[in-house]
Amino acid sequence: MESETMLCTTDQCVEQEPQYTHIDRNEFSQRRHKKQEEEEILICECKCDEKDLESACGERCLNVLTSTQCTPGYCPCGVYCKNQNSDMVKEERPQITRRATRSSALAKSVVEETDTSSQHPNDASASSDIIKEESPQISRRTTRSSVLAKCSNNVVEETDANSQQQPTLDDLVIGEGESFSFDDLVSSFPGKESQIKELVHLLGPQNSPMLPIFIYGGSSTGKTSIVLQTFRHLKRPFVYSSCLTCYNPRIMFESILNQLFLHRKKAENGYSSAKRCERPSDFVNFLREALVSIIGNPQGQKSGLSSKRSGKANGNMIYLIFDNLERVKGWDKGSTVLSLLFNLYDTLKMPEVGLIFISNTSPDTYDSNMGYVEPNPLYLPDYTDDDLGQILMRHQANKKLYTSFLSVVLRPFSRITRRVDELSSAFSLLFRKYCEPITDLGVFPNEEMKRKLFSQFQPHIAPALNEIFKVSTQPSTEVEARERKPKVSTRKSRGYEVADQLDFHMSTSAKYLLISAFLASRNPATLDASLFDSTGGSNNRKRKRKVSEKSMEQKETAEQELLIKGPGTFPMERLLAIFQCITSVAEDPLDDEEQAQDGLGIQDGHCGLMSDVLLQLTSLCGANFIVKGGSCPLEGSTRYRSTVSEDMALQVARSIKFPLSKYLYRR
Amino acid sequence: MGRESPAEKALILLRTRLCDPNFIFRPLCESSDSNYSKLKFLVSSSITEACNNSILLLGPRGSGKIAVLDLVISDLLQEYPDTITVIRLSGLLHSDENCALKEISRQLCTEHQLLFSKMASFDENSQFLIAMLRECGLAHKTIIFVLDEFDLFALGKQRLLYNLLDALQSVTSQAVVIGVRCGSAFGKRVISRFSNRKLLFLPPSKEDIQRLLEHILLLPTDSGLPTDYVVEFNTKLQNILADERFEEIINTYLNIDSTIKDFLRYLFRSVSNMDLQSGMLLLENFKTALSNIQRHPKMECIKDCSILELYILVCMKRLEVKEHNSYNFTTVMKEYKSVHDSFQTSDYYAKNVCLRAFEHLLQRGLIEFIDNRGQNQSVEYRPVKLLISFHQLHQGLKSYRSCPAILQKIMDREK
Amino acid sequence: MAPPSSASSGEDSSTPDTTQSQLQHSFLLHKASDKLISSGKARRRRRSIDLSPTKTDDDDKKQSDDERWLRMEAFQLVWSRIESTINHVLRNINARVFDHIRRWVWDSFNAIKPLATISPGPFPLVSQVTCTQLFTGLLLTNNMEFVDDISTFQELGLCLKSHGCHVANLSSFDFSSKNGIAGCLTSLLRQFLMSTFDAADMSILASWYSRQGNYGSPVVVIIDDMERCCGAVLSDFILMLSEWVVKIPVILIMGVATTLDAPRKILSSNVLQKLCPCNFKLGSPAERMDAVVEAALVRQCSGFAVGHKVAVFLRNYFLNQDGTLTSFVRALKIACVQHFSTEPLSFLLGWLLVKEDSKGVQSEKAVKLASELLSLARNQIAEQTEVTIVHSLTELTKLQKLWSTVVLCLYEAGKCNKTRLIDLFCEALDPDTYNLLASDGLTGTGKGFVQSLSSDHCMLEQNLSYRKGRLICQLLGRVRDLPAALLCRLLNGWKNLTVDVPEIHDKVKELQSIVKLDEGSCKPDLKEISRRHTSRSPLKIGQSQSINEKAAILMDCMVRDFMKPIECTAFHEIVCYRNVENLQSALIGDSRKMIQVDLLEFHKTLQCSCCRRSGNIPLPSMPDTSIMYTLAQEHGDLINLHDWFQSFKTIVIQYSRKGTSKLKKSPLKKRKERNESENKSEASIQARFCRAITELQITGLIRMPSKKRRDCVQRVAFGL
Repeated sequence: MESETMLCTTDQCVEQEPQYTHIDRNEFSQRRHKKQEEEEILICECKCDEKDLESACGERCLNVLTSTQCTPGYCPCGVYCKNQNSDMVKEERPQITRRATRSSALAKSVVEETDTSSQHPNDASASSDIIKEESPQISRRTTRSSVLAKCSNNVVEETDANSQQQPTLDDLVIGEGESFSFDDLVSSFPGKESQIKELVHLLGPQNSPMLPIFIYGGSSTGKTSIVLQTFRHLKRPFVYSSCLTCYNPRIMFESILNQLFLHRKKAENGYSSAKRCERPSDFVNFLREALVSIIGNPQGQKSGLSSKRSGKANGNMIYLIFDNLERVKGWDKGSTVLSLLFNLYDTLKMPEVGLIFISNTSPDTYDSNMGYVEPNPLYLPDYTDDDLGQILMRHQANKKLYTSFLSVVLRPFSRITRRVDELSSAFSLLFRKYCEPITDLGVFPNEEMKRKLFSQFQPHIAPALNEIFKVSTQPSTEVEARERKPKVSTRKSRGYEVADQLDFHMSTSAKYLLISAFLASRNPATLDASLFDSTGGSNNRKRKRKVSEKSMEQKETAEQELLIKGPGTFPMERLLAIFQCITSVAEDPLDDEEQAQDGLGIQDGHCGLMSDVLLQLTSLCGANFIVKGGSCPLEGSTRYRSTVSEDMALQVARSIKFPLSKYLYRR
Repeated sequence: MGRESPAEKALILLRTRLCDPNFIFRPLCESSDSNYSKLKFLVSSSITEACNNSILLLGPRGSGKIAVLDLVISDLLQEYPDTITVIRLSGLLHSDENCALKEISRQLCTEHQLLFSKMASFDENSQFLIAMLRECGLAHKTIIFVLDEFDLFALGKQRLLYNLLDALQSVTSQAVVIGVRCGSAFGKRVISRFSNRKLLFLPPSKEDIQRLLEHILLLPTDSGLPTDYVVEFNTKLQNILADERFEEIINTYLNIDSTIKDFLRYLFRSVSNMDLQSGMLLLENFKTALSNIQRHPKMECIKDCSILELYILVCMKRLEVKEHNSYNFTTVMKEYKSVHDSFQTSDYYAKNVCLRAFEHLLQRGLIEFIDNRGQNQSVEYRPVKLLISFHQLHQGLKSYRSCPAILQKIMDREK
Repeated sequence: MAPPSSASSGEDSSTPDTTQSQLQHSFLLHKASDKLISSGKARRRRRSIDLSPTKTDDDDKKQSDDERWLRMEAFQLVWSRIESTINHVLRNINARVFDHIRRWVWDSFNAIKPLATISPGPFPLVSQVTCTQLFTGLLLTNNMEFVDDISTFQELGLCLKSHGCHVANLSSFDFSSKNGIAGCLTSLLRQFLMSTFDAADMSILASWYSRQGNYGSPVVVIIDDMERCCGAVLSDFILMLSEWVVKIPVILIMGVATTLDAPRKILSSNVLQKLCPCNFKLGSPAERMDAVVEAALVRQCSGFAVGHKVAVFLRNYFLNQDGTLTSFVRALKIACVQHFSTEPLSFLLGWLLVKEDSKGVQSEKAVKLASELLSLARNQIAEQTEVTIVHSLTELTKLQKLWSTVVLCLYEAGKCNKTRLIDLFCEALDPDTYNLLASDGLTGTGKGFVQSLSSDHCMLEQNLSYRKGRLICQLLGRVRDLPAALLCRLLNGWKNLTVDVPEIHDKVKELQSIVKLDEGSCKPDLKEISRRHTSRSPLKIGQSQSINEKAAILMDCMVRDFMKPIECTAFHEIVCYRNVENLQSALIGDSRKMIQVDLLEFHKTLQCSCCRRSGNIPLPSMPDTSIMYTLAQEHGDLINLHDWFQSFKTIVIQYSRKGTSKLKKSPLKKRKERNESENKSEASIQARFCRAITELQITGLIRMPSKKRRDCVQRVAFGL
C-alpha cells in the first residue's frame, strides 16, 4: 500500500520541498544487518491444506507466537504462509502502470493475478519433480525472431508473454528460429577463424560429452562474444554467469540455479530466486538436482527426452559458462570458490555437463594451494593491425573516407594500445574532427583531398595520442564555450603545462591548509624547524640555503625515497604547526589584499583562518586532496598524506600570492 | 537422431569414452597387483569380517584414485547387494564439520528412506550418525565413508575426523573410512588414529599408456558403425601408433605432465581435432593437439603487448639489472624518460597514457604489486615486480613482429 | 526573546541540519545550532539590560511583552521573505543547467535504445564493442565544499523524474568500502523497486525494467559526490552497469567537486574506458553569492539591511572560512535574529512590511509603541511624534531604493569585466567615503543634480585620489574608455534599472538620444575623442564631451547624490544590523582557542580575589585543571607524566602545608598529623591529578600516552 502512495508523492512533489524516501527496514549505522544463517531459520510446523488458506500460519503458528517471521522457502506452508512481511506478500502488491486508459491497466493487473495463482508451484518452494513435468511440455509461441528484430514497441507485449507462458528449456538457447551459419559467425569476427574452429571442435558434435575448456586472452579480444555467438550458431542450451555481475558466491550460485530451474525473478515472486543457496555443498546438491531434472536421469531415455523437446534446443548437453573468472580471485575465500569451479566436473561426474571458463588472464595465474586438473586451454590473441582496421571499418557509413582516416591514425595509435574499445572510442571523436572540413560525408576522397584533410588534421593527432579520457562538452552549452576553452586546452595536454587559474572555489584557509599539507608531505620533517621559524619568513631564505647545503649529500637518497615512497605521511600536529607558521608568515600578503577592500577585514579574517581548521581538513579529505592514511604502527595517531600534484599546489599558492617555492625543499 | 555420419558417430563414441572414467580404468584393473584388486580385497575383507577399517589412497592429482575407488565400490555393490552404504564427502565442500555432518546424515537418510530435516543441529546430527553406525553394525551393514580431498579435512580442528574415528573405535560399529588425498605432507594426529594402510597411485607406465591408447582409440566392431569404416579407421590408427614420430610426440607430452587425466585431456584434444570429412585420425591431429595444449602464456602476453608496453617492460628490466631493489611506476617513468633522452625514441608519451599501459600490464599478469595491502596508496607509488625473466623478455622481443630496434639494442646491451 | 530563538533554531534545524545529518562525520565541530542557542542566551541578557528602564511597572510589562510579540512576528515575516527569495534565486540559477542535462539525458537514451536487445536469460548479447559504453554526465559543482549541492542534486533528481525518467540518488555513503558493491546495489534497488533484497543483483533490476510501464524511459543514476566514493566500489559499480547497459539503459550523472581530473584519479583506465563522459557546469559559488546578495541585500526584498562592517565581515567569512553559501545564509540569519532580538525598534521593520502590504492591522499600536520607546531610548522631548517616525521611515525606504538602484547601475557597469557584486556592495555601504564627500559639501540630494551634468565639475577622483584601488573609481575609469557598443548596452541596462527613479531615468534617456544621434556620425573619431579625453585630465570639460565622459559624469553624480549608505541615514538602526562582534562570536566560536584561554585566564571568569595578582605563576588556589595546563605550557609537545605530577604536587602541597601550619599543636602530634595528612593528601592529590588530566584529555588538549612512549602524554593544543 504505502509504496503506491509513495510513488504518487514522488510523481507530483516536484514543487514541494521535502522528498520522502521509503525505508523498508531499519538501517543501523553502527552495525550491519546480520545475514541469517541456514541453521538459524525457524521452521513452524503449520500444515495448510488448499481448502482453507486460513490454516496457513495463523495465530497457532509457532513463529507467530514467538513473533518471528517465517522464512520464505522454508515455511511448510510455502507461498500460503501469512506470517510474512507485508511487502513480501505478492497478491496485494499494487501495480503502478503508466497507461493511457485505465481499463487496460485493470486488465493487466487481472492477468497478473491469474498467472500468479498459476505460478504458485513454480515459486520458491518449487520441487524438482514438478519442474520435471513442466519442462518437457511444448509451448508453441510467436517466433522469437520478431523479438530479436529489436523494435521497442513490441517489446512490451514480449515481456507480457514472458510473464505469462511457462518458460521451457528453449530459453537457455539464444537466437533459435533464425539461422546463423558458421560463415556468418566467422565473418563477424575478423582474424579469429582458427580459434573459432578450434572452439567448435572442442564443443564437438551434438550429444558428445566434453572436458572443461578454459578460454583466455586479453580484454576486448571478443572472448565472451565469440562464445555466445558460437552457441547462437550451434543452438545448444547453455547457462551463462559472469563473475562480474555475480559479485559473490551466493549470487553466482543462485543465478546459475535460477537459469537451470527456468526460474525468472519477477515482481510476482517478489524477485526471489528459485533456491536460497550459500554454501558450495548446497550448490552442488542443487546443481545435480537441477541438471537431473533438465537432462533426465543420466542413464537412458535421452533420445526420448530430446525428441520430446520440440527440436529447438539441440542435443542434451548443458553448458555452464563462467565469464570474467579472474574476478573470483578478488573475492574473499575466492581460492576455495576457484578450486570448487575447477573441480566441478570431477565432482559432478555427469558427462552431460560441459564447463567453459572465460578469463582474461592465463591459466598459470590461477595458482590454488590445492591443485586441479587443468582444463583445455584455448587462447585468443590480440588483434593485429589489419584486423583492427577491419573491425573498426564495420558500421562505417563511408568506408573510403574512413580508410583514408585510418591510414593516418591507426599506426601511431596502435603503438600505444591495441584494444579495440579504447581505439574505437578514441577514433570516434577524432573522426568527427577529421570530417569537419568536409560538407557531405558521402564524398569519396581523392588524393589531394586526402592531403588537404591530413594537413588540417595533423595538429590534432599528438594531443589525442596523449589523452586517455576526453570529456566532451554539451553542444547545447556552447554558450559559455568562451570561458571553457582554456580549460579544454589544459585538459588535453595535462602534465605538460599548468592550468593558469584554479577553476573551482576554495576558501582561503582551505588553500593555506592544502599548501601546508603539500609541504608536510613534500619536505622531510627534519627540516621544518629550519624552514619555518614561527617569527615569520623574514630571513629564512638564507637559512634555507644553508640547510640545502648541509643536506647536499642526502639528495640522491632522498630523491629515491620520494620516488619510491611517494608523498610522505604526517601527523595532524605537524600539519597544524606548519599551517600556523604559514599563516603567520602570510600576514603581509593577506593584509594588503584585505587592505584593498578596507582596513577592517584583517584580524577577523586572520583569526578566522585559524578557527575551524579541522573542519577544513575533513572537507579536504573529502575532496581527495588529503588522504587519511592508515595509522602508522609506531604511534596510534592517524597520519595524513597529501595527494596534490606539484603544479596544482603551485597554482593554489599563486591564487593566494603565497611564495610556495621559497618553502619547497628543492632536491 | 540417425542423421549423423559414421565419422560423427565415431567421434561421439571416442569422446564419450574419454569422458567416462569407468571405461578408461577398467583395463588397468585386471592385473592382480593393481591398486584395484588391493583396494577391493581390503574393503571386501572388512565387509565380510564385519570390522572397522580405514584406508588412505595417495597419489598425484588426476591419477585416477577416485575412479578406481568407484569401480571397486560399484563392483562391491553388485557383490553384496544391500549391505553397503556409501557416504561421499569432499573436503572442498564439507571441510567444515557442521555441514559435513549435515551432508552425512542427508546421505544416510536418502539411503535408508528416512526423512531428513534441514534444520537438525550439529549435536542431533552427530547423535544420528552414532545411532546409525550402531544400527548398521547390529544389522551387519557396512558404511563406507569416502573422504575426498582428505587433507582439507585434516586442516583446522578436525572435529569431524575425531568424531568418525572415535566412533570407529567402538566394536559394535562397522564402517570403512577411505581417505583420498593428493598431497604428501601428513598431520601426525590424524595418522595416529588412522590405520597405516596406504595405497600409492603411480603415473602409468609405458605399457599402460600403450594399452590405454589401443583400448580407447580403437573402434569396436560390434557398435552400430559400418564395419568397413571401422576396419579402415583401426588400420590407420594402428599405423599411427606404430609410427615412431607418434612415439616421440607422446613422450614429449608425457615428459611435461604424466598423470592419466592429463593424458586423457591430450587425447581428447587430439580426437576433437579429427576431420569429419575423412573421418580418420591423422598424425597431424596429435601434433596440433600437442602445440595447442602446451602454451607459453607469458610469451603470448608479450606478443600481445603494444610497443609502449614493451618500453615499460624494458625499463623495468633495466631497473632490475641496475639492482634497484624495488621500483614503482614513478621510478619506471623516470627510467623511461632517461631512455628517451639517451636514445631520442620516437614514442615518448604523456604520463597518463603510460599509466594506462602500466595498468594493461597489470591486467595481463606480466607485472604485479609486491604487497596487496597498500590500498590507500595510489597506483603510481605501489611497488611492483616483473613476473617474466630476462630471457623470456628477450625471446619475446625477438619474436615480436615489429619490435623497435632500440629495445632490442637496449636488451642486448644489458645482457 | 525565547520564542524567536527557539523558532529560528527550529527552522535552522530544518534547512542545514538535513545536510548535517548526511555529512555528520565531516561536520564534527560544526557550531551552527548551539551557537544560535548561546546567542539566544546572550540576547536574553542584553534584552533585560536595554529594557531595564521600562521594566518597572506592569503596563510597561505588558507593553514590553506585546512588543516582544511584535518583534518576533516581524522577524518571522522578514526572514521568511529573505529565505524564499534566496531559494527562488538559487533555483533559477540551476534551471538552465538542469534543462541542458535533461536534453542530454534524452538524447543519449535515444542513442542507446536501438542497441538494447531483449535477449533471454540474464546475460547481455553484445553486438558491437562501443555500445558497452556508459553515458556519463560530469556535473561540475565548482566548490570544494559539498554542502551547498546536496539540495541541488535532489532537485536535479526531481526535475528529471518529472520528465519521465527513473531516477535514483546515490551518495558516497553507498559506496563505502565497508559494504562494498552490495551496499550500493541494495540502495539502488531500494530506490527503484521500493523494497530491500538481501541478495541485491542486477538481474532483478533488469527484470524490473522489462516490466510494463517501466520500459521505454531512461534510468538515471545520480551520484552526488564522486570524490568521496571508495574508488574500488565505484569502479565495480561502473563495470557492472556497463555490462548491463544493453538491457538497462542506465545514464550516470556524477557530481564532481574539484576538477575534471578527479575521475582519472580514483578510477583506473579500464573503468574510464567504459565511460562516455560529457560535462556540465553549475554556477560557481561566486556567481551564486552575487545573485543571493543582489536579491536579498541590494534589492531589499525585505527591509532588513546590514551595516558596512557586517557586510565586510560576511564577505571575509565567505572568502576565508568555508566558502559555502549555506554558511553565508546561516550567518545572515543569525544577523537577522540578533537584530530583531537586540534592536528595540526593529519591530517597525515588520510594521513597514505590513504597511507595504497595505493591511495596517496593528500599525498605529506599533507606531505608538515606537514613539514611547524612542522617548525612552534617546531621552528626547516628545515632538518625536508618529508623523516624524512615519515620515522618516518612508524617507528611509526611499533612500534605500535609490541606493540600491545606484549600486545595481554600478554593478551593471562592472559586469563587462567581472566586478564582484559583494565587493561593490561592501564599498557602497562604506559610510566614511560618503561622510568625506559630505564634508566637502559635494553631496546634494537630487537638486544639484540637474545642472551638475552640464556644468563642469570635479570628479570623484580628486577627492578620493588618496584612496587607492577604490572599485567605484575603477568603474568610472572603465566607463570612460568603454567601446560604443558596450556603452549602448550599458545605457540600456541603466534605463531598465532606473525606471522608477525618474531623475536618473531622464538623464539616461537623454544620453541614449545623444548616442542615437552620434550613430550617424563617424564612430571612430568618437572613440578617439573619448580616448583623448581619458588621456587628458578631466578638469576642463567643454561642451564637446564624449558620450563616455557624459556617462561617467552621470555615474559619478549618481554615486555622490543618490548612493547614501544606510548608516548615514536617520533611523537606520531600525532596519540595519551593525553589531559585528556578536555576529562574529556567534559564527566563529573558536572552541579550542576559547578553552585554552579560559584555562589560562580563568580568573576573568571566576572573578576571585585570591589569584588575580598572579601573572601566570600557578597558585594552589587555582582550579586543578588550569594549574596543570599552566604547568604544561613549560613542556614541549611531549609532557613527562612524572615530572608533571611532581610539579603539580609541589604546588598543591604548599597549600596543604599552609593549612596544617596554621593550627598550633605539640610537635610529635603535629608530625603524626602531618605525615598522615601527607599520605592522605598523597592519594587525594593523585586523584585530583588524574581527574585534571582526564578533563584535559576530554577537552582535547592532550592525548593519552602512545604505545611507544608510555610515560609521556602529547600536547595537541595549538592556535594560541
